[in-house]
Amino acid sequence: MDYVWDFSAVVSYWPLLLTGLKNTVILAATCLFIGLFFGLFVGAARYSSKRIFNWPATVFVEVFRNTPVLVQIMWFFFAFPIISPFDINAFTAAALGLTLNTIAFSSEIYRAGIQSIHKGQWEAAKALGMTYTQQMGRIILPQAIRRMLPAFMNRAVELVKMTSLASVIAYGELMHQAKTISTTEFNPIEMYTSVALIFFCLIFPLTLLVHRFELKDNSRG
Amino acid sequence: MTKVLKIDNLKKSFGDLVVLNGIDVTVNKGDTIVILGASGSGKSTLLRCVNFMETPTAGRIELQGELVGSEINGNISYTEKELTALRARVGMVFQHFNLFPHMNVRNNVMEGPRTVLKCDASECARRADKYLKKVGLGWKADAFPSQLSGGQQQRVAIARALAMEPEIMLFDEATSALDPELVGEVLETMKELADEGMTMLIVTHELGFAYTVADRVLFLSEGKILEQGVPEAVLINPKMEATKNFLRGHGSFRLPEPNLD
Amino acid sequence: MGYEWDFSVVFNDFDLLLLGLLNTLKVTGLALFFGVPLGLFLALLRLYGKPLVRIPVSVLIEFLRSTPPIAQLFWFFFAVPILFGVEIDPFEASVLTFSLQSSAFFAEVFRGGIVSIDNGQWEAAKAIGMDRNATLRRVILPQAITRMIPAFLERAIELMKTTTLVSTISYADLLYQANNIAQSTYRTLEVFTVAAGMYFIVIFICSLVVQRIEHYLGRTGELTKG
Repeated sequence: MDYVWDFSAVVSYWPLLLTGLKNTVILAATCLFIGLFFGLFVGAARYSSKRIFNWPATVFVEVFRNTPVLVQIMWFFFAFPIISPFDINAFTAAALGLTLNTIAFSSEIYRAGIQSIHKGQWEAAKALGMTYTQQMGRIILPQAIRRMLPAFMNRAVELVKMTSLASVIAYGELMHQAKTISTTEFNPIEMYTSVALIFFCLIFPLTLLVHRFELKDNSRG
Repeated sequence: MTKVLKIDNLKKSFGDLVVLNGIDVTVNKGDTIVILGASGSGKSTLLRCVNFMETPTAGRIELQGELVGSEINGNISYTEKELTALRARVGMVFQHFNLFPHMNVRNNVMEGPRTVLKCDASECARRADKYLKKVGLGWKADAFPSQLSGGQQQRVAIARALAMEPEIMLFDEATSALDPELVGEVLETMKELADEGMTMLIVTHELGFAYTVADRVLFLSEGKILEQGVPEAVLINPKMEATKNFLRGHGSFRLPEPNLD
Repeated sequence: MGYEWDFSVVFNDFDLLLLGLLNTLKVTGLALFFGVPLGLFLALLRLYGKPLVRIPVSVLIEFLRSTPPIAQLFWFFFAVPILFGVEIDPFEASVLTFSLQSSAFFAEVFRGGIVSIDNGQWEAAKAIGMDRNATLRRVILPQAITRMIPAFLERAIELMKTTTLVSTISYADLLYQANNIAQSTYRTLEVFTVAAGMYFIVIFICSLVVQRIEHYLGRTGELTKG
């Protein structure tokens, strides 16, 4: 190939790229922690046999699992402001879409994790006189968390990848910075290659961590 | 005589299936009562109604002379709060032990006093040591359930229930899931408890144990108590045909007294 | 709420939305068509290739799985004309990107399926004189395939969701059409809600079908009677 690669622009724009990376991490971390936190309640609701908890939770989860993330983000950015009582900027729209998405997916992880705990554990805890919250907090969740960890980490990996979609609504994360720079400097190949490499360096260690956790969990049986 | 437990006309159905069809039981302090019956006769269900793991469809249960639940116009309603409080006063030992695998033995036994009774650390430790010693497993306090044999796990489960210092202990086929050679150690522990005066309701298939330890034997059939009385009466001289059939089935191959000197 | 919903604009342009949906399915279908065999190829290379081949292939697979699809899409869309001097339109770039991207995931599904077949099967085949290729073809893959079907179908549904990205390089899929209509009619709420609803219906139905199939396969990949 006779194309001459020129990474000089990438180097000179590194502060902007750093800002992009920072915004990527901020968006991902925010959505991950809020999503994993509320996912527990939605997961417990789905596990519940009471219809009043189960049905709304199920509808919520099915809607967010069966629609594309980009559509969710665009909906929150373009459609939601019309009925929203508060202002929606790019970060808010992306955060809303990604957090709700994470809640939906992580609720399934919680539900499956809780379900995998033998019923006898619930009974033993109940027979001692524990309330539902005590049963969950002292007996069920501590056992379930260990099993759910690899799945949660996979979710984290997915989330970091999904933050790049926020570039479409001009949130200043890494992908967006690359787009902006490449339109002014006319160096899309170098820009997108660099950004892909940065994402890879960010995400690949996480996937390795997942593998290690999966192996550890299997060996303990 | 203090009535620890009084069950009046207890009925329990699961949908259309009637499992308990009017059970009356009175348990005095220190009684050891064994409940026998064929599979599906409702023995476990009866036990599970006592600590409200199953909610009765009808009937009254009184613990220490006080009605469980509130009665309005002949209907009894229960709040989750009072049932939770009741379960702390009734100990249960399960067929499959159900020890908490993520805690060691000592923590398993301390969990009830700590989380439910809100005992302080020293009281929890005192109870754990006392009751583990009682079941003969003080030396395994730091082990995890997966490192114990079935018999040891069940004895820890008994210690866990005892640590709550309950007013009555329920045993739901406590030895049915154990390898035969491990059954003895658990039955021994249960006999000791009975001899010390613990009030116990035991569901079991171990007829020899029932004969030796029980103050009273109840034979359940089709959701009702068909026969009850001292072990001599029910197990050796049964009156009802169903009881006789049950005992016939259980006595098919009997070992004569072995020479163990 | 004080907002007056007006879905009429949506139904005026409904044919555009349907066209978009069709294009979405087209890209997904083609990406699957190329991605699945390519995935098998990569999996076999990764499992049985010489180290000189195995390592680059592993790196490629990990790279494709650990970078955002949108970055890949942009890279191919801009890089191919510049690097190879070939004109590439949004459709071609989309098919190329998603064939490769999905092949990386399918490669892992294949690898997992093949590795999960009990060693005893290999030994039995070897004992009657089969070589590795014959064993794979006649013994291993046929068993692995049924086990992998649920994972495949789930990956395919994921792909359907991922291809919405093509709207960002102006390929006229459902999301792109929705965006256009919304911008011109200012009825963003109705248009995007309808588009989301259309995606939901298609994907939800596919999920239900997949669940049915998983049920028939009895989760172990063996066909259960009744």
